Amino acid sequence: MSQTVMRTVDLKVGYGKRCVVDEVDIEALRGGMVCLLGPNGSGKSTILRTLSGMLSPVEGAVYIENINIQLLPKSSLARRMAVVLTDKLQPGLLTAFEIAAMGRHPYTGFFGKLKAHDREIVMDALTSVRAQELAHRYYNELSDGEKQKVMIARALAQEPELIVLDEPTSHLDISHRAEVIEVLARLCSEKGITIIMALHDIDLALKGCKTVLMIKNGEIIAQGPPEQIVREGIIQELYDISSARYDDLLCSLELGSYSQKSALFIIGGAGTGIPVFRALRRAGFGMDCGVLHQSDVDAHVARALCNHIVTEDDFQAISDENYDAACRLMQRHDVIIDTGFPAGATNARNMDMLRLALEKGKKVYTLRTKDSVHSPAGKQPIYCETVPELITALGDLC
Amino acid sequence: MQASIETARAARRRFMFVGLLISVAVVFCLNIAMGSVNVPLPDVVRTIFGRQIESAVHESIIMRIRLPRTLATLAGGACLAISGLMLQIFFGNPIVEPYVLGISSGSIMFVSIVMLGGVTFGFNILSPLFMFIGSLIGALIVMLAVVFAAGKVKSIVTLLVIGIMIGFLAGSVRSILTAFADLETVGRLTLWTMGSFSGFTWQQVQILLAITGVFSLAAILMSKPLNALLLGEKYAVSMGVGIRFFRMAIIVIASVLTAALTAFAGPISFVGLAVPHMMRMGFKTADNRVLLPASILGGALMLSLCDLIARTVLAPRELAIGAITALVGAPLLIFMLVRRNNAL
Repeated sequence: MSQTVMRTVDLKVGYGKRCVVDEVDIEALRGGMVCLLGPNGSGKSTILRTLSGMLSPVEGAVYIENINIQLLPKSSLARRMAVVLTDKLQPGLLTAFEIAAMGRHPYTGFFGKLKAHDREIVMDALTSVRAQELAHRYYNELSDGEKQKVMIARALAQEPELIVLDEPTSHLDISHRAEVIEVLARLCSEKGITIIMALHDIDLALKGCKTVLMIKNGEIIAQGPPEQIVREGIIQELYDISSARYDDLLCSLELGSYSQKSALFIIGGAGTGIPVFRALRRAGFGMDCGVLHQSDVDAHVARALCNHIVTEDDFQAISDENYDAACRLMQRHDVIIDTGFPAGATNARNMDMLRLALEKGKKVYTLRTKDSVHSPAGKQPIYCETVPELITALGDLC
Repeated sequence: MQASIETARAARRRFMFVGLLISVAVVFCLNIAMGSVNVPLPDVVRTIFGRQIESAVHESIIMRIRLPRTLATLAGGACLAISGLMLQIFFGNPIVEPYVLGISSGSIMFVSIVMLGGVTFGFNILSPLFMFIGSLIGALIVMLAVVFAAGKVKSIVTLLVIGIMIGFLAGSVRSILTAFADLETVGRLTLWTMGSFSGFTWQQVQILLAITGVFSLAAILMSKPLNALLLGEKYAVSMGVGIRFFRMAIIVIASVLTAALTAFAGPISFVGLAVPHMMRMGFKTADNRVLLPASILGGALMLSLCDLIARTVLAPRELAIGAITALVGAPLLIFMLVRRNNAL
């Protein structure tokens, strides 16, 4: 089952004698999906070009089914490996079927005439990328997503063992991105085709690919199944993200702020805090937050966006120590925001903190429905129905 | 549904091909029949099929003047159309052709050197083969320069400017050489640089036909890799096309075809641009297995028709054929440039 389709030996890739990426050690198994992740200019395309035989290695060799690809005649290589590039095509008046049928090039005769068998393979290829109904439309009239599917069908029509794709999802909208990755994953599992590709979508790569290679500054910094290599902060490090924070578990990117207004204190939990954090960050407010349970989704985003947070261990009731810490933090603020979090056994003390804030005469904004806050007499919070309303109210305050 | 669409397309193609063939035949006969002396059509047909006709004058006009000239326009049109089509695929751009890229101008420059230089260096007879070789050298040099430039800059506008500049360069070389030449040669050269099929000799026609035949066939034999190249060089390589040899073959074929015609008839503009474009529109495909034969017929038709117009419209005066082809081609080029800019 797990038979090696492509492997590299002592491979150094680059242009001429200039080495771009050293020690490229890739092994792709049948039906495997290998993804190259890394910033622009890290050498992903150079690796792909070398693997597909378009570029000679600086040192070492690439083997496909134990044959050195440099020694394989081009037409034999074309029967084993197909590529999908980022280049925009201007093929003129050719139909999607005719484009896909180009993939039969290594198999057809001198004038490229398609036999019934070839036509069947081309139609099958179009069907397996769900583009069969596009067959007789002109390629130029298709959307970017449809064009990409046709190009994958063209690669399939080559009946390859291996398809190399360079950023197959760029320029596509989110539904086509997901569709392309899903189609590729299906080709791997159903047809046993091996796929090696470069991707810019971190989340798609980590969720969709069996093996991920992380490349930075001409060096492979990590390689393996995504679950094994993703550790706290690795994506941040890989892309040198400085203006935003990437959460490795949620695969979400939180944008940094551009200005700092006075800080607010937020009491949240169970996802009610996320829209508030994001909206306040956008409006330029600094934030402190407490008490959140460590694996609460709010805590993931708060770690990216808030200055200080107080967290409690998962599924534990809020301890005296953490409660006091949060209260001290809260005391430093004049404005407190209650996100309308659900309260239960483990976070009941957050409600206590809210009441304490009211007692202390802080300005409390809440997203709960009217009169639902059991507050001390005469000390009412300010009710807001929506987050935008809250932002407007805070804007008036400043 | 799929089958019916394909049958309809095949029927359309057959219809177009038959239409083109008939048109070529009709224009061929008209070309021979019409002129300062009109020859009756039955006599034309008889002469073509090798029978005797009554009027010896008519026979002489047909055999000495009109038949070689008509054959030359047919072959020349095919040369330009194929050359244009191959260059368009090579550069991945529908608005290039031999004249626009300056390949014709390169030919002019070297033929000028041969014609004017030949006289000053003591040659009296201009051998057609000699002119062809000069023309070919010029075409190849410009072609290689353009290929080199295209590798450096991707912008089509740059290529067009290079083509125009080479045209100026050719003009300047000609002017300088003119200073050393006698009036008669200069007059002949000037006439030739405007493009004309008048006075085509059988010897020239034979060379032109032979070159057109061999290299058009070579082009048709390359249909399959030419189709692969429609997806760009990288894809072509990934599908098993041996790109180095193939690139060289395109350059040589396109240059030889342009050079052959330019040597004898002078530079003729825009046929190489207009014909492949019209064929693509007419046949609604970019498949070269269809476009190459179609362009041969279309080019032959367009150039012989233009020659007929040039000869007859202001008879007995004869217009330069380049004037007629440019009248059709230049607006088309501008239209395509504008539309392309909008599309990008």
